[in-house]
Amino acid sequence: MPVMKPDWLTPEVEKRLREIEYEYQVRVFGEEMARVNFLPLEQRKAYIHDMIDHARRKGVKFEKEAMGVTR
Amino acid sequence: MLRISQEEMEQFFEGLVASLQAQGVVCAITSGMACVKFGAALGTKDCDMLCAVNSADTFLNTLESTSLRGARCGYRSHLGAPLDTRWLSGGWTSHFAWRLADEEAALDVFGVAPRGSSPWRSETQGLYASCHTVAEMKRTDRPRDWPFATTLGVKLLRAGDPRGWLHIFDHQVLLEMAAEIPCPSELIAQRPVLGLLSSRDPRLVIALRGEVEFWQQLDHVRIQVYRQTVRSYVVAVKRDPRSDATDLRTQHQSRVEHAERLLPKNPLRDFGIDRLVREARSLAEQMAPQGSLHWLPEVAGHFVGLEV
Repeated sequence: MPVMKPDWLTPEVEKRLREIEYEYQVRVFGEEMARVNFLPLEQRKAYIHDMIDHARRKGVKFEKEAMGVTR
Repeated sequence: MLRISQEEMEQFFEGLVASLQAQGVVCAITSGMACVKFGAALGTKDCDMLCAVNSADTFLNTLESTSLRGARCGYRSHLGAPLDTRWLSGGWTSHFAWRLADEEAALDVFGVAPRGSSPWRSETQGLYASCHTVAEMKRTDRPRDWPFATTLGVKLLRAGDPRGWLHIFDHQVLLEMAAEIPCPSELIAQRPVLGLLSSRDPRLVIALRGEVEFWQQLDHVRIQVYRQTVRSYVVAVKRDPRSDATDLRTQHQSRVEHAERLLPKNPLRDFGIDRLVREARSLAEQMAPQGSLHWLPEVAGHFVGLEV
């Protein structure tokens, strides 16, 4: 659904919402992932791809259980 | 052979969606891969895909003709419904995989977005489900999923979409947001806990705990309902050698035949949405702080797409 930019979303508010999000992400995901999540999409994807490839090389299993239903 | 990289895996799945969409199939990537796109990165290797229930046949035909480094697609497990409109519309998931030497590309396909309050088909974003749909799907029984819901809620508000208020479950973030931007009254009606924001009511903390506990129990009971109805079907599929045939069509035929006899098409409808909600509430009462369930939302509208 395309969303019209509401009046309340001024540049100052946008900046503050960004800060709130960043601080929250640091709190729940840690500084490194918060930084990654604020990278441009292509850089973010490249980081995540490298992270997953590295983990798989080290033997981390990512396979999900097949349950017949999605969480 | 070189290990398949995550970049190749993602390109493969994005190519699959693009190919399906070019054939007129309404489908979209959701869950972990979508979270990465929206800026709530999640380390996931598999792909979850929503597919319009009436496109199951075209979807299956496409899977049959799509290979990954020469590997053909097959069903990934004996547990999981056939990719067929009748079971997709009842909320079942079909599991597929392309198996290479020592790894696999796994794909889960489903037609009903769990907890969806609006039709996911109406607002896909290119190859992906919308941020709103993905956020609703993150209200699972697993505590680790909830920070992603909150993050996506903030993303929506930052994009000017007030529905972001429905997805924020962190007390501090809610108070900080409320200090900056208005919360529309119609959203407070949908999610009563938001009504505690204007007065900075200290009960907000326990109200959020009650709300999260309730959603988690709702998902827990929902999954149990499906699990309890699948057993005899799984046994039959497992015993049938056709289920592990080398070609997808034979595997599929075996599953359809057993499903027609043994797999209820819509277990949630049979169980009853009211009963599901009652049981979730009862379980939440045992776990959540006393009095915290007073602000629960009405959840009957969160089964959009499910034929109930």
